[in-house]
Amino acid sequence: MRSLLLLPLLAVATPAAAQSLTTVTTLPVTGSVPQVCAMQQGAIQSGSLVNVAGLDGDTLRIIQFVDPATLSVKAASATISFEAVCNFPHAVRVESSNNGLWPVDGRITQVPGGFAYAVPYTAQVTWGVANAQFSADAKTRRIAQQTINVEAPAAGQLNLRIEIAEGASNVENRAPVIAGTYVDTVRIFLEPR
Amino acid sequence: MRRQAAIFSALLAALALPGSALAAEAPASGDTDSATVGIIGTVPAMCFGGTLTGDGTFDLGVLVDLTTGQLRTDLSAPNKLLVGSFCTSRSSITVSATPLEAQNYTAAAPNGFSRVVHYQASAAGWTALPATYNTGAASNAAATQSRSTAFTGDITVAISNFSTAGGASLRLVGDPSYRGVVTVTLAAVN
Repeated sequence: MRSLLLLPLLAVATPAAAQSLTTVTTLPVTGSVPQVCAMQQGAIQSGSLVNVAGLDGDTLRIIQFVDPATLSVKAASATISFEAVCNFPHAVRVESSNNGLWPVDGRITQVPGGFAYAVPYTAQVTWGVANAQFSADAKTRRIAQQTINVEAPAAGQLNLRIEIAEGASNVENRAPVIAGTYVDTVRIFLEPR
Repeated sequence: MRRQAAIFSALLAALALPGSALAAEAPASGDTDSATVGIIGTVPAMCFGGTLTGDGTFDLGVLVDLTTGQLRTDLSAPNKLLVGSFCTSRSSITVSATPLEAQNYTAAAPNGFSRVVHYQASAAGWTALPATYNTGAASNAAATQSRSTAFTGDITVAISNFSTAGGASLRLVGDPSYRGVVTVTLAAVN
């Protein structure tokens, strides 16, 4: 009987559910890194020039294109370095507008036998773990390209070595070359595979 | 018998129980007696972490300079506020954090790259010195701060001092989701 009377006096406050001895708040931190490729202006690699005056803007100018005695092509080469980055698996595409060095003057239509009227060259690309050689064979005047897959992100120097062999010709080796200004445009693309 | 009746009478008066059959029993006139009733209430040591204002995520957006691929130098995110936090006793506040890591590119980053961004997280307003935690540090002595009294107030949580794991010259691998977590713990001390 006595204990029954005392019970109402022993009420104890219970804490709310969200309050406890320890409370923990978590705040996520988020961000993103888009897939990006970037390439800076090219520069001649020191000591790489053979019979090339240098880089004039973005143009390589050959000092002496043909041997004045034989009129066959003289060897020339240069390596251009580009600071570049691709932060995802990607591809390098090398594209030649002419598939070789061809005359600017399109009026050269009559080609006497034994003369070269286009000059082949090679372009060697070194980029990260990728290493590939592109050949512009000057057999036909067309856009030519080669694609190299790169399986991992890469950063650093992309090296492009342009090399014209001694006596290179689209007919017989060491054939004399018809007079004119010979050009090609090489483009390098870093792009998604 | 008379003594027992007196005790019941005192208790019923304190409780003011109406209609009790026992109330009909009047104390014996001329007698004096007393009784003691204990009343006990307790307030446990406890904490409430506060109510978060706004979105609970530190969203940093794009982490890199798109022309270089390197970590942006102007990264920031608005502070977060935990409003109305309290502890009913002395307490400690602890902040910890995990670095931002690429969630999809989980392989080791190739040469010249990193997939982790470090930063410092801080929780201020609870103690004289804010609790701070740097995800790139070997130890974080200031991660836990204590106060000796009960307290209620707002806690400001912030992140800052971002850096690329491995060095500032490294680029971050492309990944649409980099993620880390800041954790703030309030603990009451009995």
